[in-house]
Amino acid sequence: MSNSDHDHDHDHDHDHAHKPMVDEITDFEVLEIALRELCIEKGLFTAQEHRVFTEYAEQIGPTPAARLVAKAWLDPEFKKLALTDAIKACKEVGVDWLHPTGFGAPSDFMAFKILEDTPTLHHVIVCALCSCYPRPILGNSPEWYRTPNYRRRIVRWPRQVLSEFGLELPGGVEVRVEDSNQKHRFMVMPLRPAGTEGWTEDQLAEILTRDCLIGVALPKPGVTNNVTPLVREAVRPVTA
Amino acid sequence: MKKKAQPDSFGVLNDIVERDHTWPIMTQRYGVENPLPPWKTSLDGLCDALDQSCSSSKPPLTFKERRDEEDQLSASLYTNLPYPENQLVALAHSLLKRGVIDEKELRERLTLIRKRLEA
Repeated sequence: MSNSDHDHDHDHDHDHAHKPMVDEITDFEVLEIALRELCIEKGLFTAQEHRVFTEYAEQIGPTPAARLVAKAWLDPEFKKLALTDAIKACKEVGVDWLHPTGFGAPSDFMAFKILEDTPTLHHVIVCALCSCYPRPILGNSPEWYRTPNYRRRIVRWPRQVLSEFGLELPGGVEVRVEDSNQKHRFMVMPLRPAGTEGWTEDQLAEILTRDCLIGVALPKPGVTNNVTPLVREAVRPVTA
Repeated sequence: MKKKAQPDSFGVLNDIVERDHTWPIMTQRYGVENPLPPWKTSLDGLCDALDQSCSSSKPPLTFKERRDEEDQLSASLYTNLPYPENQLVALAHSLLKRGVIDEKELRERLTLIRKRLEA
């Protein structure tokens, strides 16, 4: 290959195949590595343990939680199991709460419960104390779930906070906020929406987004991504 | 001009905060769209591995202490840092405060790692 051919291919790749990257080593990147190396050298954990937990944090694709609820919607016996022995039901969708990473659970817990919504009862989960979340089945928590804003306000003004996510519940629906803690984790089993009759487990799992299983959204045919909180434009924007 | 160090703050971390290599600034500079820096999941792995290791009888830093201090420090000393930079710096602060690592060895390690990554 001539040099000009090489240059052409190289430029072609950059123009069409690669998104830009931050081409600089930041202090924060260096700090993360330094802390990790020092902790490993002091025997707090091994590099292999760290790698496994990192891989676990990067899990992608539909959550096992979506699969579990879809299965429960289709199979009344499995639903009974999910509501009475959630840890056992999780094993049927491939999640062992005692060893989700192969190195044990990422943080301490004792119990996991699935909260069933009804036409007159809606659940939403929070960890008012910190950021406890059913990670083995639902993956990493969203950034907003960790914020004091969500943690403090959802327990006091749940309807107001839910409306900020675009979820307006009728007055006749009771809202129950379940507070997680280091020993107890929860997840919501929403009502199966109308318009999904005859759907397969795969189709149902697609509309069971993370936010539906936290309880800040409801599953809806055609909506397969998590809802972005409603942002209104400022009425009187500040101008320079 | 450098800010006067606040009580209970660590010079090595203050220097990092002042240099302000935060992800929003970097993404703007390089036209990058990723909402989180590439080291975020490694930090998650670090916190998880630490929490797991600290479930022993004499933990240097428990899960609850780590998270409580992260909230407290993010709202005070590191209020100008975005997430997850504030999570990372708060963790470093908690480890330094407990003497799990010391400031001198952290400074030396930062220099060593930067040299290695830029080689």
